[in-house]
Amino acid sequence: MDFLLHIIIMACLTLFPLLGYNIVFGKGKILHFGQEAQSLMAVYTLWVLVVQFQQPFLLALLASLLTTTMLSLLLAQLSFRLEPDGFGVMSIALHLAVLSIILNWQSVTRGALGIPRIPRGILPSSLERYALVVVLGAIAWYFFLRRLERSSFGRNLVALSEHEWHAESLGISRKKVHTIAFLLAGTGSMISAILFPPYIFLLSPLDYNFQHMIFFVMCAVAGGPGSLRGVTLAIFLIIFLREGLRFMGLPADILGPVQIMSFGLILFVAVCVRRDTLFPKQRTV
Amino acid sequence: MQLLVNGLIAGSLAALIAGGLALVYGVLGVFNLALGQMVLFGGYVTWWLHQSVGLPLSLSIAGGIVFGGVLSLFVFEVFIRPFYKHHRFLPLVTTIALSMILDGVLLLLFEERPRSILPGLKNTVQILGAYISMVQVVMIVLTFLLLCFFAYVLHSTAFGRKIHAVVQNDHAAMSLGIRAPMMHTIIFVVSGVLAACGGIYIGIDTSLTPTLAFSLTIKAYAAIIAGGKGNFWGAIFCAYLIAFLEQIVVGVQWFGMFTVPAGYQQTVALFVIIVFLLFRPNGMFASASRRA
Repeated sequence: MDFLLHIIIMACLTLFPLLGYNIVFGKGKILHFGQEAQSLMAVYTLWVLVVQFQQPFLLALLASLLTTTMLSLLLAQLSFRLEPDGFGVMSIALHLAVLSIILNWQSVTRGALGIPRIPRGILPSSLERYALVVVLGAIAWYFFLRRLERSSFGRNLVALSEHEWHAESLGISRKKVHTIAFLLAGTGSMISAILFPPYIFLLSPLDYNFQHMIFFVMCAVAGGPGSLRGVTLAIFLIIFLREGLRFMGLPADILGPVQIMSFGLILFVAVCVRRDTLFPKQRTV
Repeated sequence: MQLLVNGLIAGSLAALIAGGLALVYGVLGVFNLALGQMVLFGGYVTWWLHQSVGLPLSLSIAGGIVFGGVLSLFVFEVFIRPFYKHHRFLPLVTTIALSMILDGVLLLLFEERPRSILPGLKNTVQILGAYISMVQVVMIVLTFLLLCFFAYVLHSTAFGRKIHAVVQNDHAAMSLGIRAPMMHTIIFVVSGVLAACGGIYIGIDTSLTPTLAFSLTIKAYAAIIAGGKGNFWGAIFCAYLIAFLEQIVVGVQWFGMFTVPAGYQQTVALFVIIVFLLFRPNGMFASASRRA
């Protein structure tokens, strides 16, 4: 039962940033691989201030919100300036640069060791209650995004992803719509930053490396780019597979590579199946 | 002087990898994010042939290079060709998947332990106050000769002119009877062979570990972006430049007051990417493509 609850919690905690990312990458077709940079910014600003500098939680939360918003706005600005593939590489570079600074600025971040003893504060201490809070939060986030998706914002985002010039000629502002999309992705990272480290009582930079970014891309592609329901299902299935592989009795030095290979295969098969919807060809008359 | 020599050693390796990749980007316009893993495979196969099978070094190196070529052919036919005509961003995602698969295979077959093709102490010599091993001198000279050979092929042969034609305009080249799809395959295989040479270089100079892959890919892309996407010589120049910058950033005492921790060395390539994409997205030596 505890294992099942753990999987549900992990899936719901992944759901926050991933559904936000799905708005940018899946729905908006923006070649963005810097979601984990937003997560790093949110989580480290929050917990470094709380744990390392003993600042009040609300003040740290405000600072974290500010830095994440600024990074989201920066990413949006960069996406306007650069070619799509250039932005893709830039977002990877930005993520790795932030990670590198965190790993090397040991006096503040404790480097690769991470920050232990993250307090739960007002969050419940029992696993069942924690699961309840996280599930309710995930449901609220899902329906909030679904409502947005069906609003004019969602339609504008799809129109821009299908044909940017035509959409702009109809009065849709790319800057406004894409900026909102990046801010939503940042909000997802922010919520996860509040809930994830207290769950495992540790803030580790290894939870935000490029492998995790690939995991996001894999779930977004496998679930159907832009599909809230599909991506949610993919998160649960893939996390169940990831955690379930531990029970196959494989030695640790084989389990890790098998997990990596199976995720790579899933991503490749998903791209093969979704090649028409991932980056669709422009409609022509 | 020691920093310059270190930069020359690291730059030669980066130039090998980035050169082939620049050709691929110039012709196909696709990013191959599994490049680092392809580099390592070339090195690991050479290590396996030399250390485990017991073949002589020259045969092992030849085996590593041939394997690099075959692997790149397989990668191109399975992970690139079916996708890049559909949409040129798709290979970016398929090669991410490939990088994960190759990472897993590398870990399963060769484990995380460092593997050196020529283990043990290497004879070092002192040149103008800088220490360098004879193996490193040979590697630098071989890289230089290989790049000279490429210069000759690219600029003085009919094959090189065909490559230039395909880089400038695919369709115009085809209308002149050049088999562009065949050239795409050849260029990708050449980039794979150069990548395998890079892996062998690492295996002989220091040691191979699976965790090296991604930093190799990033450095190669930093050189391509800084050099002007698709510009072969620009990428090679910038590969050396970035290698020198990496050495200088962590090797110099800045303003006589502080030194940058060695951990930031890998970050130099990332900042090169960020700075160039922000302020000079076409790179230092951007070449204008011909348009009708």
